[in-house]
Amino acid sequence: MLAIEGLGYRYPGARQDALHDITLRLAPGEILGLLGPNGAGKSTLAAHLGGLLPIQRGGILLDGQPLAAVRRAAPRQVALAPQAFAFYEALTVRENLDCFGALVGAAASVPTALANAGLEALADHRAGQLSGGQKRRLNLAIALLGQPRLLILDEPTTGVDPHSRRLLIDRVRALAEAGMAVIYTSHYLEEVEQVATRVAMLQAGHLRLQAPMDALRARALLEVELADPPAADPAASLAPLRLLHSAGRHLTLELTRQDDPLAVLARIEQVLGPSARFRYGHSALEHLFHPPAEARP
Amino acid sequence: MSALGALMRKELIALLRDSHALAALFLMPVVFIVLMSLALERLYEPRLDTLRHALHSLDDSAAARRLQARWAADHGPAVQLPTDWRSRLARGELDYVLELDAGFARALGEPGTPPAPVAWLHADPGLDGAARARLEADLGAALGELRAMMMMARALGESPSGDFSIRPFIGIREAGERPQAASSVQQNVPAWLVFGMFFVSAAISSLVVQEREHGTLARLVSLGVSPRSQLLAKALPYMAVNGVQAALMLAVGVFLMPLLGAAGFSLAGVSWPALVLVVTAISVASVGTGLLIAALVRTHTQANTVAPLCNILMAAVGGIMVPTFAMPAAMQAAARLSPMNWSLEGLLAVVLRHGGLAEAAPWAMRLVLFGLLALVAGERLFRRRLT
Repeated sequence: MLAIEGLGYRYPGARQDALHDITLRLAPGEILGLLGPNGAGKSTLAAHLGGLLPIQRGGILLDGQPLAAVRRAAPRQVALAPQAFAFYEALTVRENLDCFGALVGAAASVPTALANAGLEALADHRAGQLSGGQKRRLNLAIALLGQPRLLILDEPTTGVDPHSRRLLIDRVRALAEAGMAVIYTSHYLEEVEQVATRVAMLQAGHLRLQAPMDALRARALLEVELADPPAADPAASLAPLRLLHSAGRHLTLELTRQDDPLAVLARIEQVLGPSARFRYGHSALEHLFHPPAEARP
Repeated sequence: MSALGALMRKELIALLRDSHALAALFLMPVVFIVLMSLALERLYEPRLDTLRHALHSLDDSAAARRLQARWAADHGPAVQLPTDWRSRLARGELDYVLELDAGFARALGEPGTPPAPVAWLHADPGLDGAARARLEADLGAALGELRAMMMMARALGESPSGDFSIRPFIGIREAGERPQAASSVQQNVPAWLVFGMFFVSAAISSLVVQEREHGTLARLVSLGVSPRSQLLAKALPYMAVNGVQAALMLAVGVFLMPLLGAAGFSLAGVSWPALVLVVTAISVASVGTGLLIAALVRTHTQANTVAPLCNILMAAVGGIMVPTFAMPAAMQAAARLSPMNWSLEGLLAVVLRHGGLAEAAPWAMRLVLFGLLALVAGERLFRRRLT
């Protein structure tokens, strides 16, 4: 459905690209978790999808048509829920939905939007008086008014309580199950693990990784805490084992299906010293943010 | 409801719930009109009959007594001359003392110029210039009339008698129809109406920056609402606000000011089409200014500072705070560059000089042109800021 082909963008006056040769695919019903540190290019990519930035290089296609042309013909097909509370605080919840509903030609869907967001009891409260979680739900409800096919959520759970976070995540999952394609940017890695079906990671404008969530979960990791600082350089002494991360007494290794974790642990203790504890299991997104030890300077 | 209608409705709801904005847009200009009209009343019609004054006559002649009687009739009763009148003048406890020298009547009745003045006006240093000038003119006129009568009597060998005032000989006709004399209300109602109407520029720029920071403008773009529609949705409600402001300010001048003891503002004989034309043109200029400032500034703090500052500067230069006729020539030339001055002149052409569409059109065209240029520049910058 969505195809981003070699997308590149440089802000006026900038020395480096904010986005460089980004190629991504997204199918209906998929939730793409878009990860990356601050300044990685997530918001720039979201702004392109939201129609806020012109395309300099590459292209964005929706069902084979340029996104800009799709937006001109049917602006409701793509909705952006920005990180900021992009609604009017002086208006009530219902007045906000009425206003944006009229803008997307979906005034009749306001009662449904109120119910879906769990905001019926707060319909006549001013938006500025809502809690952080309630504001996030209103932000999402406004984005969904036009029943878009592609939804871009930029940090949708920032500053919300666990109850509202759970409501939002459940709602996003339900939307995807109904066939909506969702791009979900967040700093909360555990949250992305829960909700995303695929993960893409941006770093300094480059796409560093793009993989199905199941494939990432299938990676076996062995985390070891040594009793004392390592007696030798872990990267050199453990080769050809794949050392993902090493910091002081803490080591993280990615194992293959053929590796016996206890045999690997025995070898680690033999060359680096005794271990205090260890853990063996599937991969977590947290490790995506740590480059492999051999890649670090 | 159309997109434009939905956004305009939102603007009006938000404005009606913003008590600070309502106070700035409606209450502040009303307060300015009332306070400035009352405070500046004497600037336009200096009241000489309420000044505290005393007469110090060292001449007991009939001519001196006639002058004193005439002075009391025109300038109100004098107080008893205190012995320390000079220090009282210096302290501002007296406004002026009129002193007639011992040789007053003799000098006045003789041909030629006396070696020294025979009538002195001792004034409080704080007495305003207009009042002092009128006192001097009154004294000059009274002495001239008295001297002329004495010289004529001397030539004819008769004693001076009868009314010696020259005033019945003088009449004033103003060019064009003008039902009211110039007053502070006449100046202040149009002046502060213009100031209040231009204050929407501060409200608009603050609003636009706030919505840009909150991401709502970006969301509207994402929903396919064009920047032009966004600007129009702000411009039209605030033009309606300008219309309400104009009606309110004029009503204050007409109905409230007389109740407060000031001269009333009259709209009798005013051309309503010309008035609507000028008010609409002022609105285009003020809204255009607001949208241009909104596109130029980057932060809420800048918007809250730059727009009011621009308003105050335009008002100071444009004859709102100080009437242009009180300015030196160079400042009057500078005033003609201020859109607020065009607005004021346009209003005065209609409400004071009873001009019609033809008289209002030059000012209205200038304001509309300025407003449209500001709108076009603002829209271009606005588009750039949104991306």
